[in-house]
Amino acid sequence: ADFNFSPNSTYRPNLKLTDSEHALNYNNFYELGTDKSDPPRYADRLITDNWQVRIEGECAKPQTFDMDDLLAFDQEERIYRFRCVEGWSMVVPWIGFPLSKLLDKVEPTSKAKYVEFISILDRENLPGQRFDILNWPYREGLRMDEAMHPLTLMTTGLYGKPLQNQNGAPIRLIVPWKYGFKSAKSIVTIRLTDKQPVSSWMAAAPSEYGFYSNVNPDVSHPRWSQAKERPLGSFFKQKTLLFNGYADEVASLYKGMDLKKNY
Amino acid sequence: MPLFIKLFIVSLICALPAGLLTFDLLTDNLGANPVETLEHTTGDWTIYFLLLTLSITPIQKLFSPKWWLPMHLTRRVLGLSAFVYALLHLAIYFVFDMSVDLNEALTDIAERPFILIGMLALFLLIPLAITSTQGWQRRLKRHWQTLHKLVYLITFLGILHYALLVKADLFMPLLYMTLFGILMLMRQFKLPRLR
Repeated sequence: ADFNFSPNSTYRPNLKLTDSEHALNYNNFYELGTDKSDPPRYADRLITDNWQVRIEGECAKPQTFDMDDLLAFDQEERIYRFRCVEGWSMVVPWIGFPLSKLLDKVEPTSKAKYVEFISILDRENLPGQRFDILNWPYREGLRMDEAMHPLTLMTTGLYGKPLQNQNGAPIRLIVPWKYGFKSAKSIVTIRLTDKQPVSSWMAAAPSEYGFYSNVNPDVSHPRWSQAKERPLGSFFKQKTLLFNGYADEVASLYKGMDLKKNY
Repeated sequence: MPLFIKLFIVSLICALPAGLLTFDLLTDNLGANPVETLEHTTGDWTIYFLLLTLSITPIQKLFSPKWWLPMHLTRRVLGLSAFVYALLHLAIYFVFDMSVDLNEALTDIAERPFILIGMLALFLLIPLAITSTQGWQRRLKRHWQTLHKLVYLITFLGILHYALLVKADLFMPLLYMTLFGILMLMRQFKLPRLR
């Protein structure tokens, strides 16, 4: 099928796009290996045929979506900043649709306080899943209001094309005001829950990776500062922005919360 | 072949990784995160040269080879190479990560144990590099060898520095630590002469 999309004029900031070669060849996708060059190298080990996304849990109409169903949502192109917890960043034109539209379809109940995202589990084919570097499958989570936020994007493409395997094909999450690892790749299950999910990184290193993981230059990672970031392809660093530059849109979600405690 | 020419050739070989890195830098071939590539490559080679330096004694014990460049000179070039790569590593960090700001660097050292440990390893290498000449070896007599045993601690700290910075995959630092452990154990025991 053709991959159709149209640019959303609301999300076209005047920012210089990262060279697509960088976004396609420098990836953290531990399912394919922990080196940045592993995901493009082993991209064909990720089998995306007949992909389905199951949405279940606290909702009136749990259901399973084929890729055709997901591509039937209006696909829009949005240019977002992307900030990795490791201190590098990029500006990428993603293509997708708001997660809220998808969640509306399953009619979340009043008990749905959180959303858990579960990525692919395929120990046979995915080279990174042969080792228990993280507790597979990869898990991430959002609070319900974060998941329903208009910025939160179910993503099916980048740079005008369907997602490449190394970027989390065929469908992934993009939450632009949070560190990159929150944006789970190759999602197979979305579960609405009443309890805060434990993400894979929270389980691996609870003192380093919290549930919120909002981009915040004032809250250091225990082992490195988050005050600055290095845009891919560049030698020098630039200042990191609170909520990755999306403070106007999302700061109200965290009103009254201690961001140092809720890291 | 005169000794100084042999010395020059071995030094040139040790400079090869830095040369390749400079070539990649000039031809824009360092990838998406060029500074990270520079830092990781110079850091890796520091550890390789430290481990190579520590391999000389066990190799001598096991195989007693005829060294093309006399053993003590081979070891000296390897040790000094480790120092030069460590200096490059620090310089890249200071220029591109700390924007040549001493205050920022000091804060970074104070806040992050892995930076402090790396820095400590590098500073401990300085006296070894300075006293690596034959003149200093003569002047320090038996103290010279005691001083140069610091390289054991330095290698350990260097690998620890690496282990503390990785996010989840400890395979490479553990591999280096294992190699280091083997090289240390080989010093403790009488080794059979294989040749």
